Amino acid sequence: MNVILKNLLRFCILILFQVLVLNRITLLWWTEPTGFPPFMPHIYQLAILLMPFETPVWLLLLSGFAVGISIDAFMDTAGINAFATVLLAYWRTNILTTLLPRSLNEYSGLEPTIKNMGAFPFLSYSLILIIFHHLAYYLLLAWSFSEFGRLLLQVGAATVTSMIFVVIYVLLFTKQEVARL
Amino acid sequence: MRNIILFIRRFFNLILFLALEAFCMVMAMHTNTLQGNDLVSSANLISGTIYKKQSDVAYYFSLKKMNDSLLAENAFLRNSMARIRSYDTLRDTAVHRKFATGDSTKHIVKYADYVYRTARVINTTTTAQDNYLTLNRGSNDGIEKNMAVISATGIVGRVEHVSAHFSSVLSILSAKQKVSAKLKDGTTGYIVWDDKQPEYLQMVDVPQQVDVKKGDTVYTAMYSLFSPDIMIGTVQKSEPVKKNAMQLLYIRSSTNFHNLQYVYVIENKMNGERKATEDSVAVKSK
Repeated sequence: MNVILKNLLRFCILILFQVLVLNRITLLWWTEPTGFPPFMPHIYQLAILLMPFETPVWLLLLSGFAVGISIDAFMDTAGINAFATVLLAYWRTNILTTLLPRSLNEYSGLEPTIKNMGAFPFLSYSLILIIFHHLAYYLLLAWSFSEFGRLLLQVGAATVTSMIFVVIYVLLFTKQEVARL
Repeated sequence: MRNIILFIRRFFNLILFLALEAFCMVMAMHTNTLQGNDLVSSANLISGTIYKKQSDVAYYFSLKKMNDSLLAENAFLRNSMARIRSYDTLRDTAVHRKFATGDSTKHIVKYADYVYRTARVINTTTTAQDNYLTLNRGSNDGIEKNMAVISATGIVGRVEHVSAHFSSVLSILSAKQKVSAKLKDGTTGYIVWDDKQPEYLQMVDVPQQVDVKKGDTVYTAMYSLFSPDIMIGTVQKSEPVKKNAMQLLYIRSSTNFHNLQYVYVIENKMNGERKATEDSVAVKSK
């Protein structure tokens, strides 16, 4: 399948899944007047995380902005998701260069997946970027450093749940090699 | 000149990054003020239509619960109708509250005139700092900015953005708005939300000498945007605040924001005039 078409399709599916399913899942761990902060799992960052290796940075930034702004339009948080996603898109190339043994030009036509990168590099790549994204997102939402501990708790819990969804997505949508005897 | 072009080419990515981030920040800042832009909100046509499609599907799963709540509300309305009917002289004052000015009984002034419109909730959030609902009614159906929104069981919020067919409502679960409320004995205070739990609201500015028990009901006060005596919730816990001799009440909201289906949008026909008067005072005192 054409690379552009594939990424556009993934973009649409991820946004619809985020908006129609995940945004409805409110994770409340216990309900007391001063309990655990509620948070929401995010999966739409995968649209940026899974773009091909050699995508130029300007294209990453623009598509990050497009993804963020479409989520914003659904969630009434004008600009906040877009800010966090552009941040993620900007750091993506640097993190990939650090984690991969060879330069990025040598991986032409490939996408960052467990198959192409190995399980540990891929997971640390997505974990670092998702932490960046969530920190920016929840900091902008709260817009204050009072109750910083609570903010970190929220970021930690949201990161763990988002990573679970990322792993599920990768396990579901990676083509398996047929085992030969 | 050549240097500038070289500079831009060298740092193009960084410049684009900073420009996009600045744009996002400006947009976020603008929306956080009450006069924010309507451009990126769930009242726009695309997201509104998608939410409506989803709501049409999800609608069937909660029909039974909705039926029960409608029945309960019908019973409540029948009861209050019966009570009003028994006082014949008060028949017209149920909706049109009137009072007579002191010197002449000929001057009868209406200071509130309410019109209720029903709307279906097609999207709702409870986890964000400022939570919004999207309704399937817009300016074509007479919805305007700053109208109050209530449900069958309690208050919901205030209309913030309106498009032709949709409107988005800033719910009471938001740090951006306060609602004045009163206890059973008439003590007034403010309802705020500390963005922790969607089930609990806080009531502040209640003096410590007021005796509040667990389970006491809290209603909207006369001078709020909402019509008076709409239930807000029940007191769950009270905590003294040392610094100003007030107490903080934790209130369990009577509206269940997780499964809101139908709401009423209240138009107060006198609100424009009242707001204009209040604003003119505010401008002068600046």
